[in-house]
Amino acid sequence: MGLWDGVTDALRVYLRAEGLREVATPTVIDAPAVEPYIEPSRIGVRFLRTSPELALKRLLCHGSGSIYELAAVFREGESGPHHLPEFHLLEWYRVGASLRRTMTDVESMVAAARQLGGGVAPRWRVVSLLERMGEDLGRPLRGDESAGDLAPLLARVSSLAAVALRRREATSSEESVARLEAWTELYTLWSTRMFDPWLRALGPDHAVHLVAFPAPLAALSQVLDGVAQRFESFVGGVELANGYLELADPTEQRRRFEAVNGLRGRAGAQPLPVDEAFLADLRHPGLPDCAGVALGMDRLVMVAAAATSLAEIRYLPDRA
Amino acid sequence: MDVSNLKKNAKLRLDGHPYVVVDFQFVKPGKGQGLYKCRLKNMLTGSVFDRTFRSGDKLEDADVESRTMQFLYATGDDYTFMDQESYEQLELGASIVGDDKRFLIDQLQVDVLLYEGRAVGLTLPGHVTMTVTHCEPGVKGDTATGATKGATVETGYLVQVPLFIKEQERIKIDTRSGDYVERVNA
Repeated sequence: MGLWDGVTDALRVYLRAEGLREVATPTVIDAPAVEPYIEPSRIGVRFLRTSPELALKRLLCHGSGSIYELAAVFREGESGPHHLPEFHLLEWYRVGASLRRTMTDVESMVAAARQLGGGVAPRWRVVSLLERMGEDLGRPLRGDESAGDLAPLLARVSSLAAVALRRREATSSEESVARLEAWTELYTLWSTRMFDPWLRALGPDHAVHLVAFPAPLAALSQVLDGVAQRFESFVGGVELANGYLELADPTEQRRRFEAVNGLRGRAGAQPLPVDEAFLADLRHPGLPDCAGVALGMDRLVMVAAAATSLAEIRYLPDRA
Repeated sequence: MDVSNLKKNAKLRLDGHPYVVVDFQFVKPGKGQGLYKCRLKNMLTGSVFDRTFRSGDKLEDADVESRTMQFLYATGDDYTFMDQESYEQLELGASIVGDDKRFLIDQLQVDVLLYEGRAVGLTLPGHVTMTVTHCEPGVKGDTATGATKGATVETGYLVQVPLFIKEQERIKIDTRSGDYVERVNA
């Protein structure tokens, strides 16, 4: 229990010293961020937040400056050694900062947490997703390949991963939806079959920032030269944080939400309402240039405790 | 059943075969799809393999149950058992009973596996105690450790036993290896 207290305190001290202010945003919301494979819990017609992202960005639009929140968040059906249906995200935004700056934040936080747990700071390296995936699959990838281009790679990696590809019906859906689906699927299967085993083999004292995501996986980040300005941080094989150079263009943001809703429809999930207040704030007053990161606090404490499952760091036992 | 309700020991019907979930893990690469990596055991053949399902996949429950039954008698290649609860009788063919017939003594309790109402498998107790119906007498003075001789038990099964075993004695046999375990004193 001391470790949770120690780590959250250390992170707050760090962020405050860096000039970020702590805020609190609502847990029950009208519209969650539209993600293809994150299912929100519903309360009547409203939702429990799956992340504080949209609310924090609205604060940024309204001139909050650099901020952070330690938020309890909820995701339906996620339960496993590294997943809980209710967990805690530390999410922070730095106005005017580069993506690299927030990667340094993650490194500092992990070092502090590991030290509190009696461990050492891991050694970090930066890995390009597109490069690595291209090497693993035996074909150079640019990140803008169409669903058709990716089909042979998908067939290969799905048979390696012993998973059936989703049956594709003849469909009139847009190429953007098909592309998003193909890239998400390729990323999921490649991660599971090739990247995760490689990460785990590095051992607990190594950490990786995965960068250079293909444009369709940009979600809420900017895209430069066809590459999403996004990173994902892993420590000892555990995915810990996701960072973005945040997308400020309301038209592009709406288009992406709609593509994701299209993909949700294809996967048999219900479409999610789009947060109109958020899009309105993107138009005016507008989102300042900023980089943001969401970090799984429970996983960070797990990694600090050198534990391998979240169950090991839960303090409240299940009722018998 | 939705894949999110998957549990260890759940029984699934896949490609027409019943499988039991030996192990599974939920994984989800950042913002990608949730995957359920499963280790499945074919309940008919015992073979084990890995299969990954995705969030949202629908799975079929396998209609599998195990019932305790008592062996009654054999007629040619048919083996008749009786359900211990319902007293229903059930015939199992030689293809299911296989080599287990060597250990089927009267009133032996076994577990019969039913898949969609059909008997598909038989599980014997780990050991059975049987009577030696025929064996050569041991040679006096031959005390070499490990020396054995053949002995025939009531089902006709020929098993290697130590030299001190005599006809009409009861012996315990391991049903998996088919080996003699020990003499059972009446």
